[in-house]
Amino acid sequence: MNVLVWTAVVVIGGAGSLLRFYADGLISSVTGRDFPLGTMVINVSGAIVLGLLSGLALSSSQYLLLGTAAVGSYTTFSTWMLETQRLTEERQHRKAVLNIVVSLALGIAAAALGRLIGMHL
Amino acid sequence: MNEDSLKLTSYFGERQRTADNGFAADALLDLYGQRGIATSILLRGVEGFGARQRLRTDRSLTLSDDLPLTAVAVDTRSRIEGLLESTSGLLRSGLVTLERARLLTGDMDVDAPIETPDDETKLTVYLGRQERVYRVPAFVAVCDLLHRRGIAGATALLGVDGTAHGKRQRAAFFSRNAGTPMMVIAVGSGTRIARVLPELGGLLRQPLLTLERVRICKRDGELLCRPPAAGESLPPVDPTGMPLARKLMVYTSEAALHDGQPVHRAIVRRLREAGISGATTQRGMWGFHGDHPPHGDRLLQLGRHVPALTIVIDSPERIQTAFDIIDDLTAEHGLVTCETVPAIRPVGSGQAMEGRSAAG
Repeated sequence: MNVLVWTAVVVIGGAGSLLRFYADGLISSVTGRDFPLGTMVINVSGAIVLGLLSGLALSSSQYLLLGTAAVGSYTTFSTWMLETQRLTEERQHRKAVLNIVVSLALGIAAAALGRLIGMHL
Repeated sequence: MNEDSLKLTSYFGERQRTADNGFAADALLDLYGQRGIATSILLRGVEGFGARQRLRTDRSLTLSDDLPLTAVAVDTRSRIEGLLESTSGLLRSGLVTLERARLLTGDMDVDAPIETPDDETKLTVYLGRQERVYRVPAFVAVCDLLHRRGIAGATALLGVDGTAHGKRQRAAFFSRNAGTPMMVIAVGSGTRIARVLPELGGLLRQPLLTLERVRICKRDGELLCRPPAAGESLPPVDPTGMPLARKLMVYTSEAALHDGQPVHRAIVRRLREAGISGATTQRGMWGFHGDHPPHGDRLLQLGRHVPALTIVIDSPERIQTAFDIIDDLTAEHGLVTCETVPAIRPVGSGQAMEGRSAAG
């Protein structure tokens, strides 16, 4: 662990959140805003990548940079929660439940799939 | 003070910048502060679109950094006319309207507040966010009074910036924001509103309110009158040469649903699909409509219980299309009013220009 790694965490972390910002903006503007699909796609794709990384034999620094910094900043729990709460505020209860259940099911499946792929690489 | 005044309203996007790269909203409110405008308020909408048909909405967190803004300034005719050119010069796109309003401050003992007492009237009370009367928030006290006196409905909107009695009151992150402007908009019969004015004068320490004439088109699903057609009773331009547009204000509730989504969301979506020139929705924080006592959000709740106010402005011909859509979506709930407003599209060069093609 050195200054270089810490600096890289800062830079990669920033890049990850920027990637999320633009990916969410793009997905939401294409698919409409009735359902927070952007956040779901981001979280599920992040789960695949994190699963894949955990399946690979990485050094601790590599895992810190790719897993914690990159995927950690790219995915978002808080936005998922806030958007679910916002759906209930507007009485879109079916969509709110769907947002939680589908995200969880797809997320766990994605992490498992990623890990499977990673272990066979 | 009780005099004929003007109300200057600007509709634009939050991220719009001026020629020297500052935010247009800041520049506009700086100007209102410098000129010591009697009352002004900057409202952040929850959803809306302009003539370019770009949707601004708070539905997705990522895309809610550019919400629709509404800046309202009320003062004497000469002071507002002096602001018009600078305001439309600061804005590169959007819409600016100039309406007649009667501004009342200080003593509310007015002789003839409204021209024809039978007319439906829109009352706007300007307050501070933390202003209190008898230990109750002022907006709650005002809504209670209006409700008790049989006014048809009232909506309290919270501003983020503005001026009050000529002094700048801007909301800040680390502040009580005691003076940050709020407004309570109420619609009711002229006679009832005239009767409530002295009481409001007694309730508030420094009352500041405006009266405007409106036409009620629809109330609780009952169609009372359609917006007047083009040319009907009015010329196409006002005496100063500003083209006349029509403004619809739709008062609904966050709890009123159409096809599973809040009515105001459905209205904005359908109007945009129909190519209407622009609409903005404000979410209120307190209010009432009809017999229900005033209400707002509760601490523990799933859905919200606040009023929503959607403003639609377009040419008299196209507002007919907009009204048909709104009529369809407010089959059971809501209040729809219509006003005639001189409106221009600013182009940022200091000179006014009309036309739907001129951006927004």
